[in-house]
Amino acid sequence: MHVDKQKHTFEPKIIAFVCTWCTYAGADLAGTSRMQYPSNVRVLKFPCTGRIDPVFIIKAFQQGADGILISGCHPGDCHYIAGNYHARRRFAAFRKLLEFIGVDLNRIQFSWVSAAEGGKWVEVVTDLTERVRAMGPMVEFKDLVLEEQWSGNLNNPELQAVYEAM
Amino acid sequence: MTQTIDISSYSTITDAIRSEARRILSDSTVSAVIGYTAGRRKGSTQPIVITTADDADQLIFTAACLNDLVVYLTKAKKDVPKSGRIGIVVKGCDLKALVGLLGESQLKRENLYLIGIPCSGVLGSLLKPSAELTTETIASKCCECSDQLPVGCDFVPTVTPAPLPDLEKRYANEIARLEAMTPSERWEFWKEQFSKCIKCYACRQVCPFCFCEQCLCDRNRPQMVEQTPRPSGNTAWHLVRAMHLAGRCAGCAECERVCPMDIPLNLLNRKMAKELKELFNSEAGFEVRDTGPLTSYREDDDQSFIR
Repeated sequence: MHVDKQKHTFEPKIIAFVCTWCTYAGADLAGTSRMQYPSNVRVLKFPCTGRIDPVFIIKAFQQGADGILISGCHPGDCHYIAGNYHARRRFAAFRKLLEFIGVDLNRIQFSWVSAAEGGKWVEVVTDLTERVRAMGPMVEFKDLVLEEQWSGNLNNPELQAVYEAM
Repeated sequence: MTQTIDISSYSTITDAIRSEARRILSDSTVSAVIGYTAGRRKGSTQPIVITTADDADQLIFTAACLNDLVVYLTKAKKDVPKSGRIGIVVKGCDLKALVGLLGESQLKRENLYLIGIPCSGVLGSLLKPSAELTTETIASKCCECSDQLPVGCDFVPTVTPAPLPDLEKRYANEIARLEAMTPSERWEFWKEQFSKCIKCYACRQVCPFCFCEQCLCDRNRPQMVEQTPRPSGNTAWHLVRAMHLAGRCAGCAECERVCPMDIPLNLLNRKMAKELKELFNSEAGFEVRDTGPLTSYREDDDQSFIR
């Protein structure tokens, strides 16, 4: 039953922000149905997709995520009536912002996975993992975290000129 | 080619503001008027709150009247008396911010007396406050302004602003230039811009829409945005800022003007405004809206990006 695990040189970290009512239950179903999906995905459970703030995505990238999955109930199925409708608009805007500052949108996947769609969860996670694996590590935000503070560069020509003029 | 912009109407506007302020203060229509007065440097201006009719002669309007005075009406600022009706001098762009605040239930229209300015444009910066208003020195926001005449004010001086000459659409051009780049080039551009940030939060302080009692970026349990002026926290701050203003920003461009490090902050705001116009056909205007584009939804919104 178990497929032999293929060895890869790069294992991407995928953070999945999921809603507790649909996608979390869907992922649970995939598990209880013994479906195999990549273990690269770390699932974070939220009450609703409407609770997922864009700042969580920035934070995830800063802390080493290579790909992000945001998944919740299908439109019309929200436990809180309209949380996913609001999330849909918010993320439509946020992905435009990310694109504008130069983040590759292929690293972010949005999906609707209901509690009955264990198979779709496996499909979405596998596709995203393979896509991000092909793209390599997400270095942009991580590099920023490692960078020195802006005043670290004290040897620049402007300051030198000011120093000499003193 | 540099061309002078006709602002001859500004002296008439100054006289009209003064007499109107004197009238509404002496008959107790308002308890205070927020306007502009001459600054200490020649040609510069600064905001002033006047409470007696005698002070009305201090009010002026020139091309150096850059401030968006609406910020003084928000909860975040405590300098203006909160009792009674307040008179305020607004340009078209400031009025859009005020209308946005009305829509967000931050202000009540009946507590305000709006003195609208038929605006022909203001300077881009106060570095040379007595500079002549030309197609070079005019503020970038004015180049794309289509609302010279404010709508729905209590008093507007009866002058017709001279139509603006054909101006280079600086924001639209810059957005187009960035959009044509590859993602990594754009990242490099913004990385350089954001790394200049010193986290002085002047952009937050001057923004009419940043009226939260406690900003998300000041909270540290959990800390969502790093507070030190380092590149990663700076990037997060500017993304959060752009996102929180998306669908609300009225385009007064004060953030960009006050930025001591010259980060093109309004570029992000204009980009978001453009996208929200395209996505949800929603933009800031003179009509009070109960909900903004990101606080409402339609069942048939585009979801082509969602699997």
